[in-house]
Amino acid sequence: MCFNSFFFLFFFMLINFFFFVYFIMNGLSVFFEWEIISFNSMSIVMSILLDWMSLLFMMFVSLISSVVIFYSKSYMNSELKLNRFIILVLMFVFSMVLLIISPNLISILLGWDGLGLISYCLVIYYQNLKSYNAGMLTALSNRIGDVMILMVICWVMNYGSWNYIFYFDFMKNDYVMFIISFMIIIAAMTKSAQIPFSSWLPAAMAAPTPVSALVHSSTLVTAGVYLLIRFNYLLIDMFFFKVLLFLSILTMFMSGISANYEFDLKKIIALSTLSQLGLMMSILSLGFLDIAFFHLLTHAMFKALLFMCAGVIIHMMNDIQDIRYMGGLSLYIPLTSLCLNISNLSLCGIPFLSGFYSKDLILEMVSFNSFNLMVFILFYLSTGLTVFYTFRLIMYVMINDFNLMMIYNLYDEDYIMLNSMFVLLFMSLLSGSFLSWFIFSYPYMIYLPFNLKLMVIYVSILGSILGFMVSNMGIYSLNKLLLSYNLSSFLCLMWFMPNLSTYGLSYIYLNFSQILFKNIDMGWSEIYSGKGIFNILKNYSVFYNIYQMNNFKIYLFSFILWFMILFIFFFI
Amino acid sequence: MSFAPELRSHSQKVCNFYKRAMRTLEAYHVARYVIRYHQVILRNELDKNKAVCDPKEHRRLLRVAENELFMSQHPIPVAKFARSVGIAGGVAYDRVQVIPDWVMDYWHPLEKAHYPEYFKRRECRKCEYIKKWNDGEIR
Repeated sequence: MCFNSFFFLFFFMLINFFFFVYFIMNGLSVFFEWEIISFNSMSIVMSILLDWMSLLFMMFVSLISSVVIFYSKSYMNSELKLNRFIILVLMFVFSMVLLIISPNLISILLGWDGLGLISYCLVIYYQNLKSYNAGMLTALSNRIGDVMILMVICWVMNYGSWNYIFYFDFMKNDYVMFIISFMIIIAAMTKSAQIPFSSWLPAAMAAPTPVSALVHSSTLVTAGVYLLIRFNYLLIDMFFFKVLLFLSILTMFMSGISANYEFDLKKIIALSTLSQLGLMMSILSLGFLDIAFFHLLTHAMFKALLFMCAGVIIHMMNDIQDIRYMGGLSLYIPLTSLCLNISNLSLCGIPFLSGFYSKDLILEMVSFNSFNLMVFILFYLSTGLTVFYTFRLIMYVMINDFNLMMIYNLYDEDYIMLNSMFVLLFMSLLSGSFLSWFIFSYPYMIYLPFNLKLMVIYVSILGSILGFMVSNMGIYSLNKLLLSYNLSSFLCLMWFMPNLSTYGLSYIYLNFSQILFKNIDMGWSEIYSGKGIFNILKNYSVFYNIYQMNNFKIYLFSFILWFMILFIFFFI
Repeated sequence: MSFAPELRSHSQKVCNFYKRAMRTLEAYHVARYVIRYHQVILRNELDKNKAVCDPKEHRRLLRVAENELFMSQHPIPVAKFARSVGIAGGVAYDRVQVIPDWVMDYWHPLEKAHYPEYFKRRECRKCEYIKKWNDGEIR
């Protein structure tokens, strides 16, 4: 089943690639529509929009999912229920494709809900308590977005159809569109894990690593960004887009700091994903939707590769994910280290790798356009933090000494996993330049002072030096000062926002509902409806049972009673 | 024992404390020689009070030490054994759920009728197992 799914998705990717090239060269866009049902002046139609953006995104999604399924063949080798896993992944890909090609809110909802529910099923694949809690957090956070999309569907009924793309020009300043855009932004924030919905992404690392590579790095979390790209024409002048800018920049900054205090390999990569999602959302809210889309695609490539390398390392370390026990792996697994290093350097924006093209362009656009000073500072600070935690990770995993056991032998001769990683390695190296030639047919004219142009290099060098210094711990070293319990627990637990947004928000209501439940559900309503009526009926039936038990005394007494009644009736 | 701490002896409590303190040191420091350095210092601190005989002093020292360990605990404890539970247990604990065999006894007869040979053989095996248990061949 693995190989069949891999071949199918790979051919699907090739078809999408050829159509993408044809469509973008000729400036084509195809719109199919089938009416399913029409009622009360509303019509539910199944629509498919194929333009260069949807074809390109489908190509990337199908490439990554084909490679991940091929990788799972080896990674999930010991699983008894591998077929169930593959079917879930295929259903996920189908939901994603449905979301990508939909210009219609109903089919977007189908894809959106499908993504959320199938990602829940994938997160709880390993059935331990940690996975169940993580899955619940994932599902409930995504559910908020689903509710928002449902409400958007209700509000769009004002316009007579759910094909939102027809209404942008016509209703741009309408009050209803304002409400719709607000809810769309909330939905995108839940899916892309922006503050305050950011707690589910690190928790979802309880899922198997192929799931993280496909779902939590490149497809599910980018669905929110994609939705905002599609709705961008509507949202661009909205005030709430400015609020989104603020929240996404904070997300970028917060996750960059948290990644520096984290010791779980997958959580570091998850927080890195969160940081890049914040970057995508922030550049989108500044109005540059093509750059956001560009970064979405390049990020998908190298992040999926990074997760797959992490999977190989975890497999090798006997399922240990703690980087404090790793070290010196570049000597033992050179090919995986190659992939890990290239994806990490691409993440940092090292020149001429794929991440450089998108990230550098984003930073230059932020510098060139005069935005808020805070926006500027946080963008560059987050870039520096990215390099910081990347170099810290490389130091811990690749360079320091191996820390798990005294005598060891490590190897990565699993050719299935290596071959799948090499496909993404090739794309991580070249997709940046390819996409920049395709998407940006004319270059952006950016004029910057010399030092501002090199600001990226300055913060990168500073981040790398700090990353190197923090990882080289001696007996009494700088890092010990940074690891005071209060500070590090505040910073690594994402500023306690998950606690505030889950336990903090729900405690009062849950407490109140407990009081109501005990007093009313299990108290008064039991007396007056459930158990109470039952007791009354039971007691009466016990009482009346005496008359049905052929009690001779009762018969004689009733005979005498009737006799007295008749006597009184007739003779008095 | 976690359910009746009063039944543990003082030396058991000290050993438990010592193990947790060592794991905390492993959480803070990464390089092996750094860990060893701090572990030697910790061991020296415990050895200084090795000869104390007064039980009240034992309890006081243990309380102070537990308090210090609590205040200096690492926010992300190490997980050396991924499939284990406990102070060094990790992310892979309890991943594979083994469904017990007695669940099949609760199948509906109509469901069991789909696999008649299997359930017939299963009943034979159960009888054999009970016989072996009674004969003392299995403990």
